[in-house]
Amino acid sequence: MSDEKPEAEKPETVEQETSGETSEKPKSEPPAAAKSEPPKAASEPPPASKKSEPAPAKKSEPPRAAADGHGHAHDDHAHGDSHDHGLAHTTPVWLLFAILGALLVLTVATVAVTSIDLGAQGNLVVAMIIATVKAALVCTFFMHLLWDKKFNLVLFLTSVLFLILFLSMATTDRGEYQHLVDEYRAQQLQTK
Amino acid sequence: MASPTTTADAAIPQAKGADDNYLTHDKGFASWAFTLDHKRIGVMYLASVLTAFALGGFFALAVRTELWSPGKTIMEHDTYNQMFTLHGAIMVFLVIIPGIPAALGNIILPLQLGAKDVAFPKLNLASYYLWVIGCLCMLTSLVTNAVDTGWTFYAPYSTTTQTNVIPAAFGAFILGFSSIFTGLNFIVTIHKLRPPGMTFFRMPLFVWALYSTALIQVLATPVIGITLLMMMVERVFGLGIFDPSLGGDPVLFQHFFWFYSHPAVYIMIVPAFGVISEIIPVFSRKRLFGYQFIAISSLAIAFLGFLVWGHHMFTSGQSVLAGTIFSAITFLIAIPTAIKIFNWVSTMYKGRIHLDTPMLYALAFLWVFTIGGLTGVFLAVMGVDIHLHDTYFVVAHFHYVMMGGAITAFLGGLHYWFPKAFGKMYNERTGRLGAIIVFVGLNLTFFPQFILGSRGMPRRYYNYLPEFQGLHQLSTIGAFTLGIGFLLTAVSLARALKSGKKAPNNPWGSVTLEWTTVSPPPYYNFHTPPPVTAGPYDGYEDLVYDDKIGGYVAKKA
Amino acid sequence: MSEPSTATEGATKASAPPPAAHDHDHGHDDHGHGDAHHEDAIHAANPHLAHHFDTPQQQFDAGKLGIWLFLLTEVLFFAGLFCAYTVYRSMHPEVFVYAHYFLDTKLGALNTCVLLISSLTAAWAVRNAQLAEKGKLMLNIVITIGCACTFMCVKYVEYSHKYHDGLLPGHNFQPKEQIWELDSFRHKHPEAAEYAEKLAKLDEKKNEKAPAAGAAAAKGEEHEEKMERPTEEELEPLIAAGLVGPRSLDPSAHISRPRMAHVFFGIYFFMTGLHGFHVLIGIGVWVWMLLKAMKGQFGPNYFGPIDFTALYWHLVDLIWIYLFPLLYLIH
Repeated sequence: MSDEKPEAEKPETVEQETSGETSEKPKSEPPAAAKSEPPKAASEPPPASKKSEPAPAKKSEPPRAAADGHGHAHDDHAHGDSHDHGLAHTTPVWLLFAILGALLVLTVATVAVTSIDLGAQGNLVVAMIIATVKAALVCTFFMHLLWDKKFNLVLFLTSVLFLILFLSMATTDRGEYQHLVDEYRAQQLQTK
Repeated sequence: MASPTTTADAAIPQAKGADDNYLTHDKGFASWAFTLDHKRIGVMYLASVLTAFALGGFFALAVRTELWSPGKTIMEHDTYNQMFTLHGAIMVFLVIIPGIPAALGNIILPLQLGAKDVAFPKLNLASYYLWVIGCLCMLTSLVTNAVDTGWTFYAPYSTTTQTNVIPAAFGAFILGFSSIFTGLNFIVTIHKLRPPGMTFFRMPLFVWALYSTALIQVLATPVIGITLLMMMVERVFGLGIFDPSLGGDPVLFQHFFWFYSHPAVYIMIVPAFGVISEIIPVFSRKRLFGYQFIAISSLAIAFLGFLVWGHHMFTSGQSVLAGTIFSAITFLIAIPTAIKIFNWVSTMYKGRIHLDTPMLYALAFLWVFTIGGLTGVFLAVMGVDIHLHDTYFVVAHFHYVMMGGAITAFLGGLHYWFPKAFGKMYNERTGRLGAIIVFVGLNLTFFPQFILGSRGMPRRYYNYLPEFQGLHQLSTIGAFTLGIGFLLTAVSLARALKSGKKAPNNPWGSVTLEWTTVSPPPYYNFHTPPPVTAGPYDGYEDLVYDDKIGGYVAKKA
Repeated sequence: MSEPSTATEGATKASAPPPAAHDHDHGHDDHGHGDAHHEDAIHAANPHLAHHFDTPQQQFDAGKLGIWLFLLTEVLFFAGLFCAYTVYRSMHPEVFVYAHYFLDTKLGALNTCVLLISSLTAAWAVRNAQLAEKGKLMLNIVITIGCACTFMCVKYVEYSHKYHDGLLPGHNFQPKEQIWELDSFRHKHPEAAEYAEKLAKLDEKKNEKAPAAGAAAAKGEEHEEKMERPTEEELEPLIAAGLVGPRSLDPSAHISRPRMAHVFFGIYFFMTGLHGFHVLIGIGVWVWMLLKAMKGQFGPNYFGPIDFTALYWHLVDLIWIYLFPLLYLIH
């Protein structure tokens, strides 16, 4: 669940983990349970397989971050201390800049794509896909969801799910009875 | 819990001596107004909610009195419209929604969990003050030109009426945030502040119910917030989203409104299920039947509750397709609900039933809620609903659920936890009498309304045909009976507060954690945090009644 | 006795209470949580640890779950607006095509970039807080606030343009410019622009000829004459430009603008306004964080507030990421 454990520093932290999401087993288990997960999640440069979107961004960006001396200078530092420092994952600076780069590129792309005609719905779909990729990048890296407790991710996805439920039902229904509105309006126009 | 041997009698008193508890820990107005103690915040909620309940009840009696005869009885029709609107808005937003979660839940939830406090005490206090602000906004509308839209604020009437809609809607908006923050606090508390050993499936069902409720609060309430905000902006700037004269769509408003307000129905009733699940095993002296089913069915209700909002809109112009989907899913909700009812009845089966006041309320709940629930299934049928929509049948249905379900359970819970929260015993005789009068009054008030509705008496009407008068009068008599019942209960509890006998730590022989601490609890809830090694409803047989204390203690080995 | 209580309230406020406060809190013996004295030690070592939490980790996790739940409510809070948007866009696409020509894509894109940059600095600030880099933390917060203010300034410029051009919601929708007068439209659909202009002039002439006999009568007259006007075939250029939608029952009304054009501006102002309001709140919270940072409160065991503020800030960014293409980039 929690990615990195400052075990050396204070063992009781691990004990308290029982009050986290997986509390089936009381006291004795947690250290093992808490330890078993992290290695994957916490290993420093995030595995590209985690999410499909980040992959291209990462590949294209490192040169950019490297060019930025400031960002790069901290790179090693981040790798070094992220495990010692406290309660959550520390994001390396180069990664932050890489994500920003990707986001800016995608912003340019979404503006550029507007001038290409992709059909009535095509442009909207493309714009939404790009926006979703951007949103995913922000969530995964800026908002630490990649390293965070999975329950937080579940919560966030739940909100999106309910948003979609709400949108789709209301819009579907509206589409279904729209013809009544149209007929009524046509009638009104005629009587005028 | 599992080891009820840890009654707190044995615990070593804290710094301030044996008598120190959260009520006496600090003195003075500021110690209450700025308290961060969940119990005190709960008590403040309780007092405020009960005051609002009295106000809403007053409007209800005014409405029922007006309906004593066709035409004008005591007030003009405009006043009547304002009365039923205020009754509805106050009861829904100020009383039932915060009633069990914010008032009882705040006092009990951390205790039942074995925690020191809720996760965010300051947020907890803030949500109480948001409640107060919301309440004041509503009262502003009340004393200026009271809103007359019905509690539903349907557009376009709400965007065009001359009455003071904005303060009332803004009040509801604020109250929504109060509710969100309470829910958020509870979810985090349940996830993060459980002591070792308290696993999810060792949590009492009241906690489970509050958890499900909190999920709905967090997920649904923001939508009513934005809806009311849009309605207010539409009213001021003529936005044109809801008002058809500006090209808007009033049905869309109903979608928005019910996307919250149907789940809100479960915000009101699911905590009531939790209370009943606590009371029934205790007073049946028997382990709760089907614990996991009740726990999971709360979540199922919470989830399904989001998928059925359109059943409020069968006659609104909603499409047949949407109506069919919503109708079908609505039937599904009967399943988890029935699971609960069956489990409660099975718990009582072959139990040793003690008819103390809380149990009387619980039994009343079972009766009344079953009627309310089943008539809900009638209304879920689209064809039947076309006939019954907006009649007194609907009024009777939701009063059986809201009033008969939520309020009965609220009173049951209040009587059940009263000794723990205040350290005083109430007079059992007046308590029972109150419960019985409330039960009789409830049925007398609302059963005739089923008949009225099925014969075609529309709801919210000021005037009616003479042939309906008999049933209306019966209903009015019932309403006053209810009033007397509540008054009696209020007097009984007030007297108990003043001069009640000192309550033992465990007057009912309960096995959940809150009863292992002293009554009333100390400032930090537990002198010795109780170890949790088994489920929440084990070990009734390990407790014996002790005449000297007037409560239950652990059986001596 | 108020002394212990004040002290504990201090503890909850995370403002460095005297360690003595915890004697009261944790005076009990062994209690299943482990060693009480050990807990006392943790509390003494972490002045920002509230009394009801046992460890900084627990407090941090609780806060994190809390802020995520709050973000969830924020998403659903905006859901209503997105729903209104979806419904009206699917029913009246021509309104959105028409209206977006009045928005300045460049300013929108600029604001997007500004917010993205502020998101970077916010995320960086979290890192600074974790590593107790006080100076950089303050710098990053200041940049974030600066970006937020830039965003609001650009919004102000946009809003004031709209206001001057009469592009307001509801009854106040009185556009000063017609769509064919807009460069963005002329550039994209020269034919449609010319055609629309021609039709409108025709319209005007007819109206001039018509006897002016009271507002109501004039209105009726206008309508009748409009009804005589071009068939759908003749309106082809306008249809091609997307200005005539499936619900354009009386195409006449769509020459100068679609019937429900004002709804777009209602939605536009509501969405961007509510978003802007969130930005303003964000600025307030960042300023508060800056003050806390100046006191040097943050470090490896206490950086929750910065992290949570940043999460909120990213959500504000996320919403803008969707608003930008939905409002500015309509094809």
